[in-house]
Amino acid sequence: MEILKIVITSLYVSLTATFIASFFALVFGMFFLTKQFKLKDLFIKLFDSFTAMPPVLMGLLVFLLLSKNGPLGKYNLLFTPFAMILAQTLLVFPIIFTLMVKQIDKNALRIQKTCYMLGGRYKDFLTLILKECKNEIMTAVTSGFSRAISEVGAVMMVGGNIKGYTRVMTTFIALETSKGNFKGAVLVGVILLCISFIVNAILYNLKGREPNEYLY
Amino acid sequence: MNIYIEGLLKRYEKTVLNIEKLNIESGKVTAILGLNGSGKTTLLECIANIKNKDEGKIYYDGIEDFERVKNKIAIMQQRPYILNMSALDNIVLGLKYEGLDEKSINKRIEKYKEYYNLDFLHKNAKKLSGGETAKVALLRVAVLERPLLLLDEPTANMDIESTLMTEKLIKDINKKNKTTIVIVTHDLFQAQRLADLVIFMDKGKVIEYSLKDEFFSNPKNDLVKKILRRSDKND
Repeated sequence: MEILKIVITSLYVSLTATFIASFFALVFGMFFLTKQFKLKDLFIKLFDSFTAMPPVLMGLLVFLLLSKNGPLGKYNLLFTPFAMILAQTLLVFPIIFTLMVKQIDKNALRIQKTCYMLGGRYKDFLTLILKECKNEIMTAVTSGFSRAISEVGAVMMVGGNIKGYTRVMTTFIALETSKGNFKGAVLVGVILLCISFIVNAILYNLKGREPNEYLY
Repeated sequence: MNIYIEGLLKRYEKTVLNIEKLNIESGKVTAILGLNGSGKTTLLECIANIKNKDEGKIYYDGIEDFERVKNKIAIMQQRPYILNMSALDNIVLGLKYEGLDEKSINKRIEKYKEYYNLDFLHKNAKKLSGGETAKVALLRVAVLERPLLLLDEPTANMDIESTLMTEKLIKDINKKNKTTIVIVTHDLFQAQRLADLVIFMDKGKVIEYSLKDEFFSNPKNDLVKKILRRSDKND
């Protein structure tokens, strides 16, 4: 029963974080892809370097933000699933954003110009780019989810690994390993691997196949 | 639609387009010829506002503001972006954006079916051959029936039969709808078959601009003379 709760919490935290990060990555991504402004390259490089952010550092930053003396301390959010979602969202947003922007960038302008030339408006362009770049977007989302579900440092720091509340699969594995309970750790490790595989397979299937993929 | 260009400059690392004055006549087919890198495509893309000009003015029927005329211009680019949907959906997308109902769309498409064998209409457009892709790209802009049609090497990937049918299509569009057509081509004979007026470009400049007959029988520019002589010898 404990393991089921852990699995549910893991999925809840990671899927929510991936969803929120994907939403914002899409909104900002569309802005970056369609607008030309001076510091655009600098911003993309900046987000690119954030993809290598160590989870424990992100954990520390969110910890400081939510701790009693921090700016959001009065809301008592530390050691809650919310804190874990916040940390993971901030951690995976740069990954999803940069992957999305880099992969879509080569076609976005051409799609935009084709759409506008045919008489489409901004909403038509958005619909079109979402359809045209579905694969690229799903690849970015899949990478973001993989990072979120496998992350341990940040959720440990801001979630506190509280049994039945903020304990997730990765923090459970870390704890059980330190206690010498390898059997439990391996069991949850296998579950984690299976869940990652299933979720990635679902996302991969949502991507669909490239039209020319099996021609040669 | 009449196009008047004044002081048009486009630079990358060097100047690729430098046109003092150019008037593209309304209701005519104008062919743009020139060697590789002479600025033909850039000129077309500047007219279609796909590329921003660095200096100069382009007037569309006397109007300088492109936003006011954008729905009167259609361009088929040299490497068109074909959307990941069926060929038919690609072709009718612009008509849908214009708000046409299904009946009107079908009626419009029927008009163009006589030109090509359109067996590929329900295939995914990304799976089509080069020639079929070119047909989709051309039909996609042709069905819009806008007053100005810009075509960048529309027959580059087509076989002989398709090329001839495309030329017939272009002529018919011009005659029936009084559409102004500007076509970039490397084929002198195509220019001869299609155009009312011919522009020859070199190093970003218009070095010859005349009526088709005058261009082929009595060119003024030395480079054009040389190229036409060489073409005669090859015959």
